[in-house]
Amino acid sequence: MYPVWEVPGLTAGIVLALMATFHMLPSHLSTSAMWFNLYVETKAYRENRPELLEFIRKYSLMILVFSYVLGSLSGIGIWYAATVANPRGISGLIHNYVWGWATEWIFFLIEVIGIFTYYYTLGKVDRKTHLKIGWIFAIGSWTTMIIIVGILAFMVSPGKWPATGNFFDGFFNQTYWPHLLMRTSLMFVVAATYAIAVATKLTDDSARSFITRKAAQWGIGGLILGSGFTFLFVKSVPSAASGLIGMSAFLLPGLKTVMLASLALLLLYFVFANIKPLALRMVPAILAIVVLFGGIWSIERTRELIRKPYVIPQYMYSNQIIGKDIPSKNVSAETKTINEKGILKVAAFVPEGLRDVREGNVLESGRMTALILCSSCHTFNENGLRPMPQMIRRLEFKPHAEAATEIGEIAGFIDTLGDYPYMPPFAGTDAEKNALATYLHSISRIR
Amino acid sequence: MDIGVMLKTLQDPMGVPFYPVVFQALLVLTFALHILFVNFAIGTSFLSVYGHLKRDERWKRLSGSLARATTVNVSMAMLLGVAPLLFVQVLYDPFWYASNNLSAAWVMGFIGIMMLAYSLAYAFYLGKKSGKGTGIAAYGIVSFALFLLAGVIMHALGYQLLQPDKWLSWYAKGNSVDTSGTSLHAFQLPRFLHFLVPSFSMTGIFLMLYAWYFKNREDMEKGYLDWVGKTGAEMAFLFTAVQSIIGFWWLLALPGEFRFFANPFLLAGAVLGVALLFFLYAARKDPAKFAVPVGVAAFLAILGMACAREALRMKYAGRFAYSIFDYKVNLDLGSTALFFSTFAMGLVIVSYLLAVAFQSGRVAGPYVAGPLLQKWGRASIVLLLLWIVVVAGLGIFVTVKNFL
Repeated sequence: MYPVWEVPGLTAGIVLALMATFHMLPSHLSTSAMWFNLYVETKAYRENRPELLEFIRKYSLMILVFSYVLGSLSGIGIWYAATVANPRGISGLIHNYVWGWATEWIFFLIEVIGIFTYYYTLGKVDRKTHLKIGWIFAIGSWTTMIIIVGILAFMVSPGKWPATGNFFDGFFNQTYWPHLLMRTSLMFVVAATYAIAVATKLTDDSARSFITRKAAQWGIGGLILGSGFTFLFVKSVPSAASGLIGMSAFLLPGLKTVMLASLALLLLYFVFANIKPLALRMVPAILAIVVLFGGIWSIERTRELIRKPYVIPQYMYSNQIIGKDIPSKNVSAETKTINEKGILKVAAFVPEGLRDVREGNVLESGRMTALILCSSCHTFNENGLRPMPQMIRRLEFKPHAEAATEIGEIAGFIDTLGDYPYMPPFAGTDAEKNALATYLHSISRIR
Repeated sequence: MDIGVMLKTLQDPMGVPFYPVVFQALLVLTFALHILFVNFAIGTSFLSVYGHLKRDERWKRLSGSLARATTVNVSMAMLLGVAPLLFVQVLYDPFWYASNNLSAAWVMGFIGIMMLAYSLAYAFYLGKKSGKGTGIAAYGIVSFALFLLAGVIMHALGYQLLQPDKWLSWYAKGNSVDTSGTSLHAFQLPRFLHFLVPSFSMTGIFLMLYAWYFKNREDMEKGYLDWVGKTGAEMAFLFTAVQSIIGFWWLLALPGEFRFFANPFLLAGAVLGVALLFFLYAARKDPAKFAVPVGVAAFLAILGMACAREALRMKYAGRFAYSIFDYKVNLDLGSTALFFSTFAMGLVIVSYLLAVAFQSGRVAGPYVAGPLLQKWGRASIVLLLLWIVVVAGLGIFVTVKNFL
């Protein structure tokens, strides 16, 4: 276990979620936008419509700046956020999928060098060569999705990996294909939303009308196909996790509403754009991007929630404790050792004075235990993300004359954690469990 | 807890999917490429602002080119930084994660700072392009200052990483722990300067390459290019000399027990650095002519120093009986083959893109690619499609085998 980072009111995990969701916009724009560009550029050359090239220049600059400044940095930011939110989780993924990420990096090289070459050689090199650069970028960029979806799919369902430990058995699991098709369809919604925003700045009305209409049609197609493949994706998720998809509505009630509302609003927006392409202005176009962000946020949060109680399914719990053996990798579960010796004994970053729970350090030991076991998902403040005080009170323990009785009831509840499908079981000794209960009692003010 | 035991406990139990030495070689090579562009980025960022503020027309003109170059250099630095970031997590995971989590707020701050710095670099470049006045210098100045701050953060994280014996004392005071992640705990000036000063040497060489690259373009005046080349050569020589002094300072600051001055990698790196200094001295007479061999020599010196840096990290880790060569290997030949075959393919495609960019930039007007480049472009597209067919085929095979 590494040092813990507490983010006031939030958790490090939610910082990761925010970074990852933000990254979806520039990354999906990158994978999809060049297909739209290629369509428009080919049209411009074939039908001799140079006015369309103004869009190519503006849209490419937007890809360059948005996808390869904010997008590249937020992509690196996901790794950094995962490092400080769940270091053992990202380490486990990297030690399995390092060659997958390294392969993706090769395509990242092609993307970055490709977009610079594409943007700076527009109108400078002959048309055939410029289109070739566009094709290389478009295919290369989509290939990054082919790879990263394998790793994302593994994070939802590991397929046969727990038995074989094989890279491709985890990569091409039962959720892979619907997941890839879902993202491939939805990426065109991102491309379309941004293309319409860029089109509002075009000076030529015929170009603006053409781009807006075509983008709207691509957007509608992406939404329809994406919805269908999302349904298939949900169906492909193994039963234990798909049960959690229903439960996610209980955990975060707004997710489903936001998902459906953004779908409906974007559909209406694209239909309107198709009918009245010149009526759209920058402000509604930006609002559409905000709606898009909301939709992506709810989809990504749901995907994250269905991983629970694991961060790496069938292997590592969300609190970074290895819960299952992986014999093919010669890895043993840690829970048995931790239950025997104690989490405060085996974790590296624990003050020496807290390694043993004893009279005089119970509250501090309890807080340390909570930091290690609970802080991945819960804050310990009165308010914030899944705040422990509120969650304990929600269990409606009855006030007792003796605090010890209340603490005993909380400890009894901790014993049942493993029965909840989204919670890891408690790992530690009885003394640590009681210390944790004492700490939770102290912050929750049951009375 | 004993530090050596702690590091072993923290090490990922999954092991690594191929031999550690291969990851180490990739780590060193990609780090050398990364730091090369970090140097270019910091140097061009500084000079673009400096030139913008000078009254000299030549400086103003150069400033425009460098502002544009900064955006490309930063992008390349980030792109090439991803690979060593990945490989360091594979080999030195206990060190990397502990150091980052001790200063987690700074780690996330780094991303925010870089986003702002890079956006401002673009604002500066696009502002200059659209003819805005001296006022936009503020974008460039703040951008440069933020890039430096990002460098300070990276330096501190990299230096904290080497001191596992201090980690717990940074994290815990008595029985309470600092979970705010708001402190940077270690800074070593000569080490930081040893990363920073080469930015100005390398940017000097960048200017020499600029003079060489544009020398045949009819829209570029010879006098201007000569001035750029000479300025670059003088700058590269001066800062390489300063760098060699800082190198000694850093060497003296290292723990004596390492006896690092006798390390063959350091000696090789130092010899390459000194050779570069002499080479630069000679190159000042005709910078454009010597630009390419000087560039190659400079990269070799950087590669030598990257090897020395890795050797030093092994010394620090060895203090606590940690060796990357003890890492458990769980061979995964399929994914290893996937990477290396993609790597080979990527070289062909990236070279094509660079060839188009290189050739088209060397002529003043429109550029029409010759038959070789046309074929190369077609082959690149076919290779990409072939890659997809092979991987999709493999995916279908695995899906059928496991689930149908």
